[in-house]
Amino acid sequence: MSNNLEIEIKKPKLDLNYTSDKKPVHSDANPDVKPLPKVTIDGKTYEFRPGDTIMQVAERMKVHEEIPRYCYHPGMPIAGTCRMCTVEVEKAPKLMTSCSTPAADGMVVHTRSEKVLKSRTGVMDFLLTNHPLDCPVCDKAGECDLQDYNFEYGPSKSNFKEEKRVYVDATTKKLSDKITLNMNRCVHCERCVRFTDDVTKTNDLVMVNRGWHKELEATDPEKGLTNDYQGCLTDFCPVGALTMNDFRFKKRSWFLTKKASVCDRCSKGCNIEVHSDADIVYRYIPIFNEMVNGHWMCDEGRTSYNDFMNPMRVIAPLMKHEGEFHATSFETLLTDIKKHVREASSVELVVGTDATREEAALLKDKVPALFGKSMNVSYHNGFISSLAEDKKLDHMLRMTDKTPNTRGVEEQGLLALKNGEVTSDVVIFFRNGRAGIPKMKANQKVILWGVWTIDEVKNFPSQNVLAVIPGLATIEKAGSYKNADGIVQKFHPAITHRGSALSAHQVADVLKSLN
Amino acid sequence: MGTINISRKYTAKQKSYLPAIFVGLKITMKHFIKGFFFRKNVTIQYPEVKRDYSDRFRGMHFISVDKNKTENCTACFLCETVCPADCIHIVADEREDEFNPDGVKKEKKPVSFDIDALRCCFCGFCEEACPKDAIKMSGNYEMAVSSREEAFYDLDHLKRDIKGRGKIV
Amino acid sequence: MEMFDLIQMVAKVLLVLGVCLGVLPFIIWFERRGASWMQGRVGPNRVGPFGLMQPLADVIKFLSKEEFSPREVNKFYYYLAPIVALIAPICALAVIPFGSKAIIDGKEVILQIAPMDTGIIFILAFAGLEVYPVILAGWASKNKYSVLGALRGSAQIVSYEISMGLALLSMLIVYGTFSPQEMVTWQSGTFLGFLPSWGVFVNPIGAMVFWIAIFAETNRLPFDLPEGESELVAGYHLEYGAMKFALFFMAEYVAMIMASAFISTMFFGGYSLLPGMAEAVNFISNHFGFLETGRQNVKAFFEFISIFTKVSFFMFVFIWVRWTLPRFRFDQLMDLGWKILFPLSLINLVGVTIAVYFLNQ
Repeated sequence: MSNNLEIEIKKPKLDLNYTSDKKPVHSDANPDVKPLPKVTIDGKTYEFRPGDTIMQVAERMKVHEEIPRYCYHPGMPIAGTCRMCTVEVEKAPKLMTSCSTPAADGMVVHTRSEKVLKSRTGVMDFLLTNHPLDCPVCDKAGECDLQDYNFEYGPSKSNFKEEKRVYVDATTKKLSDKITLNMNRCVHCERCVRFTDDVTKTNDLVMVNRGWHKELEATDPEKGLTNDYQGCLTDFCPVGALTMNDFRFKKRSWFLTKKASVCDRCSKGCNIEVHSDADIVYRYIPIFNEMVNGHWMCDEGRTSYNDFMNPMRVIAPLMKHEGEFHATSFETLLTDIKKHVREASSVELVVGTDATREEAALLKDKVPALFGKSMNVSYHNGFISSLAEDKKLDHMLRMTDKTPNTRGVEEQGLLALKNGEVTSDVVIFFRNGRAGIPKMKANQKVILWGVWTIDEVKNFPSQNVLAVIPGLATIEKAGSYKNADGIVQKFHPAITHRGSALSAHQVADVLKSLN
Repeated sequence: MGTINISRKYTAKQKSYLPAIFVGLKITMKHFIKGFFFRKNVTIQYPEVKRDYSDRFRGMHFISVDKNKTENCTACFLCETVCPADCIHIVADEREDEFNPDGVKKEKKPVSFDIDALRCCFCGFCEEACPKDAIKMSGNYEMAVSSREEAFYDLDHLKRDIKGRGKIV
Repeated sequence: MEMFDLIQMVAKVLLVLGVCLGVLPFIIWFERRGASWMQGRVGPNRVGPFGLMQPLADVIKFLSKEEFSPREVNKFYYYLAPIVALIAPICALAVIPFGSKAIIDGKEVILQIAPMDTGIIFILAFAGLEVYPVILAGWASKNKYSVLGALRGSAQIVSYEISMGLALLSMLIVYGTFSPQEMVTWQSGTFLGFLPSWGVFVNPIGAMVFWIAIFAETNRLPFDLPEGESELVAGYHLEYGAMKFALFFMAEYVAMIMASAFISTMFFGGYSLLPGMAEAVNFISNHFGFLETGRQNVKAFFEFISIFTKVSFFMFVFIWVRWTLPRFRFDQLMDLGWKILFPLSLINLVGVTIAVYFLNQ
């Protein structure tokens, strides 16, 4: 038996970077599959899919430092014009642009060699010859690639002694009502031109002239920019040349708190980052999600935070008394509503399709019992009458259904409101500021719940609005939406509500306490 | 406890106190003569005579203006960012086209520029952060106000022509 | 009483009171400006030229202030205290001679309001009264700080009165009289051939003890423990406002004037002419051709100038010392009074007595 003791215990050596020649322990050992080619970047070997460029390999494998880039953008075709991403490839005579050079088996790449750094310093020096020193004024400051790369790679002082180029006419040029161009800051990466050419396919931006006089212009200067994704231009512009009028000069970028959320402006449900300061939202920017929105986001959704930041939004419980609305407490308001509901002969609860799945479930299952009255619960969309009508408006993201959760609400077993018309005596209408308003008679008793502005309440089809129960907007609450592609997306509060509104669950709690 | 007993030994001369008293009387007489005959005082007649502080003195803020009385401030928020007391509040907006003798157009302007002097700790960081040398601290140290509201300096107050605005404008 | 006596009596009273109260504002002004000069400051210089009108402004302020008293005070003693405080030193001034005699309309006028033989006793009596306002004010105010001030004040004044009395006694032995006029006459001669025969040269230790005791009697720094504003707020007159406080304030300065006049008379020759003044009298009399009457009147005038100068000097010393020395601690005060000044004055008294006894033989 003594021989049996001499069993060599081999511990699998865990090497997540697959630098060893052995196959990864956890990889599927299929003998038919050819081993993936390997590239060595900064002394470490990575496997890659054939066809990847060096940049893509480095991105995917998270090489310790990002390779700087201006013209390269993962969502756009490769141009290779800025020369910022050059890397040293052994046995190559010159520095190669990592964005456009395909990785090859056995290639040895140095991204931070002395030669590369010197090249980058040179590129920065040239880019800065004409770049104005107006970072204090520039909206991009703080999130600017030029700033960041200059800090990291730039020359400490410029060799350029001559006068800087100034585009007198294009210092603040309105390309459209959404975008302002400052041509002085442009580094001619042409991301914007490629975006309109290849992503939106509207071809409404073009570079005119050559060299020193190269200038960005709208293809049709009369009409200016016309596409619906102009906000993206400001996202990927590496400098402050293109700025969005909606955000322009509102806030400096370093004050902004960034939280992920989901856009509720249409049924696409783009992933967004909510930028806020002191719980005031200043902008949405898209987050990359390959399944939903890619890198992009439409302008309509991008500016939709304004509805929630509207100063006329109802953020306190309102109760109608002698023809006037008065702010009150939730207890008083709900007691009063309960009385109305119980006295009514028939009550209807209409859920807007912008309610989260959780809210829809709550409204359907719990709320009628809490009011102590049987209700007819249905949903109302306001934009489409059936899901089949929800179509893409263009080849990218925009949808016909301007509410985020029609599928999610339907999933809870709710039925659409017949003919989009309410018939009962008392109607409770729950909505988060997105769903349309159903048809109704002018004297029907209505209780509004959710996100409303005072104007919407005053101009409501039925003049007999009894009360408004303020609710939380998408960015203020947690929940989930099921988007047009059937993907369920959870989100958490991005900001804290600044008024006294309560979430639907909290209102239900108050209702329960009243029983 | 940590009590230390010190025994002092005085000479008879010290014990009599008289020499010390006469020394004291001599000193006060010296000062009296200085004040009475030569008018040499260390105090100043404050409202008429102001104490001359160093050029680096950090007094009331002001915003420098150009020839057209336009503020040099471009609302870059750097002062607001660096302010440790959070006493600067700026609202920025697009600056409308105007004649500008210095050539390059100023893009941005402060719509409102408020300094809460009651919160301000006069550290001078804003002055240092300012890329346009717009916000500065003058030598003016007379900041008494009769109501809290007056201690909120708005843009007009900061731009106004006051004494001691500083030597470099 | 003849009409002339009445008129000359009233005139003398008015002269003394007028001079005494007339210089008060100036003394107060000088105290404040002098203090500021000694401290390198400017002092009150806003009201009038050199700030001379400042005391007037103060008077207006005092007069226009609300006349109020705390609810719990003993009203009678409370109001009595400042009156006593002012009247006692003014009364004592009555026996201070401010000149030998003037001859008006052929009649001799002794330049002293009350020419009495027991003048020193009179002064001591009224100087002793000064302890009463302190006690009355402190007790009647029903304030613990005032009471503390009053306690300190009474203990201090009583303690130092003994040394003062003994020092005075030694001088009385030297002079052999109680009459101020005769004392001044005694001091008109020369001592050791070159010094004026002032008490201070004859009995320097007595003069020093007396001088220190006088400071304690008038509650001036370094003996202002009854007030002690840093410890007792304002001591015995804490509860006094408006004109009542002004009376205390004036009383302090009147007491200083009285003390200065007293010490001048006792130790510094009183109204006896200062060196050089006799020549001036002669020169003026000869120049205008005055006879005996005129000469005497000119001499009386210079005598008045002499005592005025001496009193002014001592007033200055009062102020000078005030802004030089810090306040004593109470135990130091008592040590000085009982352990140093009292034995010293006793020894001095014995020594002087022996010396006078042998010299008279």
